[in-house]
Parts: sequence; C-alpha cells; structure tokens
Amino acid sequence: MVTKIIQIILSPVLALLIGVFFLGLARKIMARIHWRYGPPLIQPIIDMIRLFYQKSVSHGRMFDLGIIFSLVGSVVVVLFMPFGKMCPLRSSGGLLVILYIMLLAPLGLALSGGQGANPNISIGVSRKLILSLGYEVPLLLVLLAVMTQYKTISIAEVVNIQQSIGWSIISWPLFLSGLSYLLILPAILGIRPFDISSAPQEISSGPMAEYGGKYLALATIEHAFVLFISIALFVNLFLGGAANPVIFFVKMLVVFVLGLFIHAVFPRFRIEQAIKYLWRWPTLLAFLGLIITVVIRS
Amino acid sequence: MDRNQITKWLKAPAKMANKYSLHAIYFCTGCGIIEVPPVITARWDAERFGVIPAATPRQANLFLITGYVSVKTLRAIIRTYEQMYEPKYTVGFGSCPINGGMYWDSYNTIKHLDKYIPIDGWIAGCMPRPEAIFVAVTHLWTLIDKGMANAYVKYRENYEFYRRNQEMALGKLEWPPLYPIDSNVRAVENA
Repeated sequence: MVTKIIQIILSPVLALLIGVFFLGLARKIMARIHWRYGPPLIQPIIDMIRLFYQKSVSHGRMFDLGIIFSLVGSVVVVLFMPFGKMCPLRSSGGLLVILYIMLLAPLGLALSGGQGANPNISIGVSRKLILSLGYEVPLLLVLLAVMTQYKTISIAEVVNIQQSIGWSIISWPLFLSGLSYLLILPAILGIRPFDISSAPQEISSGPMAEYGGKYLALATIEHAFVLFISIALFVNLFLGGAANPVIFFVKMLVVFVLGLFIHAVFPRFRIEQAIKYLWRWPTLLAFLGLIITVVIRS
Repeated sequence: MDRNQITKWLKAPAKMANKYSLHAIYFCTGCGIIEVPPVITARWDAERFGVIPAATPRQANLFLITGYVSVKTLRAIIRTYEQMYEPKYTVGFGSCPINGGMYWDSYNTIKHLDKYIPIDGWIAGCMPRPEAIFVAVTHLWTLIDKGMANAYVKYRENYEFYRRNQEMALGKLEWPPLYPIDSNVRAVENA
C-alpha cells in the first residue's frame, strides 16, 4: 500500500523530470546540428522559473481550467504507464484507458484556447484537432493489433510477455504495426514535419499564442508530459519495456534522439499534406498489420 | 553555470531567471532587423545566453526596437509593449529610435522613442554590429542585478505622461488606458 502511494507520487515527478530533460536536450542537440553552441541543458527550467515569477492575465475561467484539465489528463496517463517495473495503476484499465485519456490533453488546450479569442489560437487548435484525427486512426489500429497479438489490454502484461519472447518490433506480424507507430510518432510528439499546430513563424505558436507567465509554464510542463507519454508508450509496446528504469530511460532516449534528427532536417508539412501522409502509409501498414495479426491469432 | 552563481540563484531566483531567460520580440521596423538573424543563428548564437526569439508579445520579456519608428508603427509598438507581461525590458537598437538618426528631419518618424514607451537601454550606432546586441544584453544583466532595469515600473508610475505623448503623436487612441488615469487631472489640463 505504502509503496503504491509512493509510486503514485513519484511517477509523475519522474515523468516530468524526464520530459523537461528531453526539452533541454532537444534544444542542445538542435543547436549542435545547426552548428551552434546551444543553451545550457537546464534552460527550460530557467525559462519556467522566469515564467512562474512573471505576471500574467487570465482571459476567463475556461482559460485557466482548460490548461489544468489537460495537465491532469497527462498526469493520469502517466499513472497507467509502466516505467521499468514501476506502474502505479498496473491492475486496472491498460491500453483502452490510455487511448481515451490521451485525448484530454489536446482537448484541454483547445478549450483553454477558445477563451483566448485570438485568431491564431483558433487556427492552431483546429490544426491540432485535425492532426490528432490524422494520427488517432493508425494509432488505434496499432493498439488493436498489439492487443490482438498478446490477447490482453494491460500494458504491464504486454511488457512481461515481451521480456520472455523478445521485442515485438522485431517479431513478425507486429513488425508492421511497430513501423506504423514509428511513422506517426513525429505527429504525436508534434515535432518538425508535423509541428503545424504550433508553428511559431506561421501562426505565432498557435494554441499558446495568448499564454504567458504561468500559463506558458504550465503549457511547457504539459508538453514535457506529452513527450514522456508518447515515447514511453512506444518503448513499452514495441521495444519490450524494461526491467529497470535506467534501461527504460536509455531506450526512450534513443527513440527521442532519432525523432530529433528528423525534427532538425525536415521542413513543415501543410495540414492537408500531413493528413494525406498519415492516412496513407502509416494507416495502410497498421491496417495490414492488424489483419495479419487477426488471421494468425484466430 | 558557474559554481559561485548557485548562491545567487538561491538568494534571488526571479532575478537570475529573468537574466538568463530573455525571450525577445523583435520589432522589425527598419533596417536594424538585418543584424538580428546572424545573432540568433550559427554565427553568434544568442541562445547560449538564453536569448531566443519569442512568438508573441505574451511570451516575451525583452522588446528590441530595431530601427526607425514611423508614426504608423508607433501605434503597433505601443500595443505590443502593453501586451507584454511584467517584468519586461525594452532596448532601442540603432540611432534612429534614440534621436531620429538620419531621419532627424523626417515628417513622419518619431524622433525620441522614450517619450512614448520607457526604454531600459540603447544600442547606439548606424548600424550597430551584432556584437553590440551581446554588449547590450550583458549591460541589461548588470541593470537587472542592480534592480535598475525598471522601465516598466516607470511606465506604470508615469503612465499619464506617456499616454499624453502617445495621444499627441497619434491623435485619439482606440484602446483604453492600460493603467487608471486620474480623470480630474486630465479635465484640468484640457480646460
């Protein structure tokens, strides 16, 4: 009981630390790819301290609540996500719950942005929701394939099975689903080919346009959580999870740095190009993977 | 980070964070903006010092006015400045915002920007080199350390002065005052 409570408190903190570390690392690696020296690794923390000390103006009650709503959604997903052997809510829910609650994060930002009444926010939010429509379809197919293959909806169970029979990304029918997840990962993370919703040069960072002060700090924390969740989900489902947190972290790091390389060299899609891409190859692969899995398992 | 900075961080985290996280909004009014891309990209890399361009005024705390200010852009500058959250710092870049520079006798530029919005510091020159921006940033750090980078406080305290100057330059302003203005004083002045 006590260990469970400690885990429930510890795992969001750990997720936040890793997410913020990833944000700092992203800026440093991006700088190095640009042949710059780059900011210190703790720059996001400095920014956040500054933002929390700054004054800020609320645009209405939903403006405050929406950001908290999406933050809470992310924290709850983290509780369902195994991190090494640590998974506070291991026995309940699993993939289905994660699938539902993962939608809270963009929804909360959309609700909050609605009160901001800035045209850039409206454009950004509509792009964000269209984009999530784009990647939710292949993501759902991928998760269905995983659930069919291992005949379980619990992520902890999926990790356990993979520990005994090997990673699912190199096992036969799930290879297609894993590839599909890799292809949509930049869209879930919101990095460069798919940073249409928060394009700073185009629509002034979209949903975050009216955020300043502590709102921007909370939005950064939310972003850190989203980074953690989407990479941890991939590691858990396809890279076999890990028996201890350190190896898990290393696996996450590898996936994230791969994503960063894509982020550093690609230009931005337009929204209809993104949808065209997302609903063509990743969806095709995921659909194929699902059908083959169903045929093999039945 | 220096080890001897840790005590400073513990003593005044807000001050230190303000120093090392200057998110700048560049107001591309004139030719000065041409010096900014080298500063934020590979050649000089301002991100080393935490200076990066911000997307909107809400996210920024450093306002760089790069180049001459025409009457038309003054309106946008004031609105941008008033949208930023405190504490905020302004730096006038180049000689045009200081005293008009080469536009000293132009009919539609503002000669002294600090009559309309408060300025923390100036970078003189026509054009200043990109290094001058770094000198300005280090000077701004010193000012923040000493608590002297308080132009936004001056704006709040002397808002009436600034608002009157803005109205003189732009005619009637279509936005309400940022801070309350004592209406009795105004009535007396208008009479």
